[in-house]
Amino acid sequence: METEAALLGVARIGRSPGSVVARLTARKAIRSGILWGYVFGVVVASSAISYVSIYKTQIARDHLEAAFGANHATSALFGPASQLQTVAGFTVFKASMTLMLLGAVWGLLISTRLLRGEEDAGRWEVLLGGQTTRSGATLQTVVGLAGGAATLWAITAIITVVAGLSSKVQISAGPALFLALALVATAVMWLAVGALTSQLAATRRQAAAYAATVLGVSYAVRMVADSGIGPNWLRWASPLGWVEELQPLTSPRPVALLPIVAFTAALSAVAVHLAGTRDLGTSTLPDRANATPHLQLLSGPVAMTMRLIRSTIVGWGVAISLTGLLVGLVAKAAGATISGSSVEQVFSRLGAPGTGTATYLGVSSLIVAVLIAFVAGGQVTAARAEEATGRLDHLLVRPVSRERWFAGRCLVAASGLVACGVLSGVSTWLGAASEHAGLGVDTMLGAGLNAVAPALCLLGIGLFTMGVWPRATSVSTYGVLGWSLLIEIVGGVGALNHWILDTSLFHQMSAAPAVPPNWATGGIMLLIGLGCMAAGAMAFKRRDLTGE
Amino acid sequence: MAASAIRTEGLSKRYGGLDALKDLDLEVGEGEVVGYLGPNGAGKTTTLRLLLALIQPTAGRAEIFGLDCQRQSVEAHRLLAYVAGEASLWPALTGLETLHLLGRVQGRVDESYRDELIGRFELDPSKKVRAYSKGNRQKVILIAALMTRADLLILDEPTSGLDPLMEQQFRHCIHEARDRGQSVFLSSHIMSEVEALCDRVGILREGKLIEMGTLAEMRHLSSLSVEVTFDGVLPDLSGVPGVSAVHAEGHVVRCQVRGSAEPLLKAIATSGATRVLSREPSLEELFLAQYGRKSEEEMPAAETSGN
Repeated sequence: METEAALLGVARIGRSPGSVVARLTARKAIRSGILWGYVFGVVVASSAISYVSIYKTQIARDHLEAAFGANHATSALFGPASQLQTVAGFTVFKASMTLMLLGAVWGLLISTRLLRGEEDAGRWEVLLGGQTTRSGATLQTVVGLAGGAATLWAITAIITVVAGLSSKVQISAGPALFLALALVATAVMWLAVGALTSQLAATRRQAAAYAATVLGVSYAVRMVADSGIGPNWLRWASPLGWVEELQPLTSPRPVALLPIVAFTAALSAVAVHLAGTRDLGTSTLPDRANATPHLQLLSGPVAMTMRLIRSTIVGWGVAISLTGLLVGLVAKAAGATISGSSVEQVFSRLGAPGTGTATYLGVSSLIVAVLIAFVAGGQVTAARAEEATGRLDHLLVRPVSRERWFAGRCLVAASGLVACGVLSGVSTWLGAASEHAGLGVDTMLGAGLNAVAPALCLLGIGLFTMGVWPRATSVSTYGVLGWSLLIEIVGGVGALNHWILDTSLFHQMSAAPAVPPNWATGGIMLLIGLGCMAAGAMAFKRRDLTGE
Repeated sequence: MAASAIRTEGLSKRYGGLDALKDLDLEVGEGEVVGYLGPNGAGKTTTLRLLLALIQPTAGRAEIFGLDCQRQSVEAHRLLAYVAGEASLWPALTGLETLHLLGRVQGRVDESYRDELIGRFELDPSKKVRAYSKGNRQKVILIAALMTRADLLILDEPTSGLDPLMEQQFRHCIHEARDRGQSVFLSSHIMSEVEALCDRVGILREGKLIEMGTLAEMRHLSSLSVEVTFDGVLPDLSGVPGVSAVHAEGHVVRCQVRGSAEPLLKAIATSGATRVLSREPSLEELFLAQYGRKSEEEMPAAETSGN
């Protein structure tokens, strides 16, 4: 029987309208998966290829194994190192923890963005008016995200297999595919974690914070296990530990895939179920809709900015302090194991010559600098979000000049970055001092501030882009950050020429306290940052406000 | 002589190849309530955003109480309050926190009036913005604007999302504002609202101001709606000078009369008319007539091109 719609000439568009959400999500997730797949692949390939060019002799490789093979301090930070005298062992050690963490962050960010973020923006309301339900749309989104994860794995696998074909690398296709699987396993798990927290939390920001907390706890649990403080079985209590247990290339254990698959499937199923039990726009966990008004930090645009970024900066401050404390605690023991020309060569490439505690802390300062740079990136995108969502209109239609608002954002963000640097220096000093490492608080404070320079420069670049090309703000900021990080990862072991190395913001930073902070270079980076902010402010003043 | 609340001269805005606003010359006097009408994309919000310096003009200039909107925007903004059609606010703040912030930024707030408005609009100020419905978010920005007692209120579809009772409350507030001597520039789709509130009305079409005046002036220039009932055969009125839009139904003929009604009266006098009703057009009819005229103008061109 013809329906009324058919009689009216309403045509069906597309073959399966019921899967439109899955296809829409997959399109976005696959695009992102391709980009990050290249990053994953390049890190793996560069680790393998550079190993054979740097550690040419068996003696050099044995030295590397002796230095890091049984080192609990480095195991705690980067995971267990085994068979470092082989290309395979080194590649896994070099690439695993970085990519596991990057994958998890990618997973939780894209998952919460495409689930809770779309709901917050009101776009789900439109989709749910179509031929789907809340749980159906969530299931479709999870399927779409799986498409992104599959793409991430495929690109990583292809590059790894191609790199393995090199006669010097010699990693066969099967193990290479398994390595790629291990590297994207955290991404897959945190896609599911993000899907679940998107149901539990009331906002996208909250959902991402919950998922990041799960990541932090998971990292801490495996760190205790890998540091030798806790029992080995504790590794099985952490999803990151399961990935370590896969032991790709060295002694593969596919059985560890079982908890990974079960965890992902269970969380996804619970997420789909919860989506069906709650109303659109609400959260499963109780959300305090009413609150006693707190009127402090609401006196003007600058105070308001402080209030808006307060929780983010505090969260990052805690993370950076814990990282600093941990690095400080293990610095003395780790520094003592830096011996042998090959390890010194690696550290020297990273700008930290010599041996000992200071050298180890010098290399570790890169981690802190990267974390602070992420804080800067977040501040840039938060400023842009104020404009894109239209919230900034409410301030600028009042007696607030654009320059005042922009300068306020710059000032508050820069102060937050400096605070992170100070916290990093003090916490690292506290950790190192408790182990009688013999480094002064002024030295570590200097090292902490030294790590702020790249972030200030990045803040300037990001805010400049916001001034001249607002819609490219996020891409350009994280593009510069990602590129700088990639150059450091690849350049640390690879034979990149100095022109390429110099394009990394982090390469300009001296590895304090291994070497004294180069305040002149730091000052130049600060001036570049300030110059970019000033140019960005001028451009911002002269252009139209622009939405998303 | 006192400066106008709003004055624009040749104000224009171009996006790529599209003229969003063309040569707008507009004046809103002090204490005047002016409505601004036009369909979606006509350029209403563009005008408002130009006045607020949120976007830059391609040509022309605009003044608020004699202050240049672009170069003296901060000074101009001290004298005005704005309500956006889309109430995008900070989700983590409560209603009261939002009002406190916006009041402090504005620099002037009548706190007792704010509390009165919270009561009149039945807003729960302890709720977080993310828990508010669209209508309640709209109430927050309405109260934020009204509580400043600003000399000029610039309102962009201010009642979108409000229920009829709250819409009524809004009208009371605007009447009060006018009584206090505040100027109001109101962009709206709701004709009855504009008709009830505004002293003058401007109609915008494709970025150009095509009509500006009081309702009485507009009605004078527009057609009269006439309905004639006959007891016999209906006469053919389509050829009568000044008569248009003739529509017959049963014994009743409805038509529009432009200019003098004398030719029509002569035509129906000998045709057995039993009842004649005439009515001035509503604002909605005036508005639709403007756009209907455009469609009629376009029709022959479309037919020609179709041949």
